[in-house]
Amino acid sequence: MKKLFSLEKIKALSYPAFKTLMIIHFLLFFLVILVVSRAHFSIPGFSIKGLYQFPNIWQFFPWVASWFNLFLAIVIIILVGNEFSFRTFRQNVIDGLSRNDLIKGKLILIFTIAVYTLIMVLLAVFIFGLINTKNISFDIIFENSYLILIYFVQAIGYMTLGLLISIIFRNNALSIIMFILYFFPIEPIIRVMFKAEARNFFPIKIISNLTPTPEFLTMASEKSYTNASGTSSLDFSEIGLLPEKLPVGITVLLAAGYIGFFIALSTLLLNKRNL
Amino acid sequence: METVLKINNLSKNYGNIQAVRNVSFEVKKGEVYGILGPNGSGKTTTLAVVLGILNANGGSYQWFDEPFTKLARRRIGSLIETPNFYPYLTLWENLKIVAKIKDAPDEDINHALGVANLLKRKHTNFGHLSLGMKQRMSMASVLIGNPEVLVLDEPTNGLDPEGFAEVRNIIQSQANEGKTIIIASHILDEVEKVCSHVAILKSGELIANGRVGELLSSDETVFIQSEKMDELTEILNDSELTSKVYMVENDLAVVLNTNFKSADLSKFCFEKGFPLSKIVVKKQSLEDQFLELVK
Repeated sequence: MKKLFSLEKIKALSYPAFKTLMIIHFLLFFLVILVVSRAHFSIPGFSIKGLYQFPNIWQFFPWVASWFNLFLAIVIIILVGNEFSFRTFRQNVIDGLSRNDLIKGKLILIFTIAVYTLIMVLLAVFIFGLINTKNISFDIIFENSYLILIYFVQAIGYMTLGLLISIIFRNNALSIIMFILYFFPIEPIIRVMFKAEARNFFPIKIISNLTPTPEFLTMASEKSYTNASGTSSLDFSEIGLLPEKLPVGITVLLAAGYIGFFIALSTLLLNKRNL
Repeated sequence: METVLKINNLSKNYGNIQAVRNVSFEVKKGEVYGILGPNGSGKTTTLAVVLGILNANGGSYQWFDEPFTKLARRRIGSLIETPNFYPYLTLWENLKIVAKIKDAPDEDINHALGVANLLKRKHTNFGHLSLGMKQRMSMASVLIGNPEVLVLDEPTNGLDPEGFAEVRNIIQSQANEGKTIIIASHILDEVEKVCSHVAILKSGELIANGRVGELLSSDETVFIQSEKMDELTEILNDSELTSKVYMVENDLAVVLNTNFKSADLSKFCFEKGFPLSKIVVKKQSLEDQFLELVK
């Protein structure tokens, strides 16, 4: 494991495109949360500040960061695609790695990037949350903090899908195009062909639902964050403003199942096909 | 002698094309084994299969009398086709990756770069090297971890005469250290000068293998002409004088067994009723013999 980690470290950190993309990812995330923090609602009784307060921030920040998870998946596609185009996967096997080691190495890379992005969001949550929350208590800070772990699962989900697509197509440009096309329109079109109950079980739907769009109206309502329990005093789902979703636990389990499937299929393809 | 590589009825297809067909041979420890054949004969495919980067469609192979594991791979230094390294990494960083995979110390990196005459370029990105330098870099990576076996596919590809001689010296010095070396090449001179054994492939099939001296030696060949060449060919094929008889344009090329001279051949033909109208003794080139074998 340590050896595979250090190999991936040399390969990724010395790659100028990787460094550039990760810096852009970092800047975009902070740019969005800074720009949104400056925005003002013109609706009386609502304030953007609610999104930056505990516990709402645990939902808002991972949701913003999730936009850029696609970016991380593209980073993985480029790094894996390079291994095919430079024929270095082939050379690594000649030098003494097994094909399973190649997959393990990339999974370590995916896990490391997911941990990095988790820490990035976590730091942002604490910095902005502590600045903007009044009447801080331990309970309020950590209420809904589990959402960051769900964000972590989502990051791994997108990146393992990127890994699978790059192993299937073995070409950076084609893999990125197919990855984006799968998001839209391929999977949405396929979903439409199925009954409404089945539509929530498709991979992209499941993985993107891990960080659902925050209930902005509830979160931005000044009533909600002044509530002593920290929970919303408004329930918009009751009046039909929010769509029905699968329970979080089931969504996470299904996402974990899809991640397992992406990894298993990637391993199978890499073992069966010529390098 | 210990068997380093044993190949049994190995086959590999690319779609409908059979690139390697039931190839079998053995390489023993300490041999310098050449795999010779024209382009497309299956040399690289055979090596790629036994190194685990292509999956075989049939047959089997064993390294060191065991199934091929990643530990066995680390006992082998290989160069297959083009040099495959990360173009954005320096030579040192690329070799660091190889050294890590092989659990070799960092000292091996400088040593290998020194042997390949690339030490001054260690901080240059691989992508900035010329083709010849890239090939020398491949040789350097092969030497990392002091492997017992070297597998080299066209190791002098793209090299200038100086680089050619350098690589040949590296191979020779490694052979002198008792290492087993397997070289795929279509350069006969390279094989003759370096190899002790050779396997000859044609259209994916093994057509001959054995000691270089037995298969490809610079023997004297006698070119003769007489009446009734067909009958003479049959008689000479059955004779103890000859090791090989074949037609070259209008002449009959005869390779004599040891201890027989062209005068013995002339006398034999005369006694059998085939007086010779032409007798020319030539040292046949390796190329002629190779072309004869793969014809």
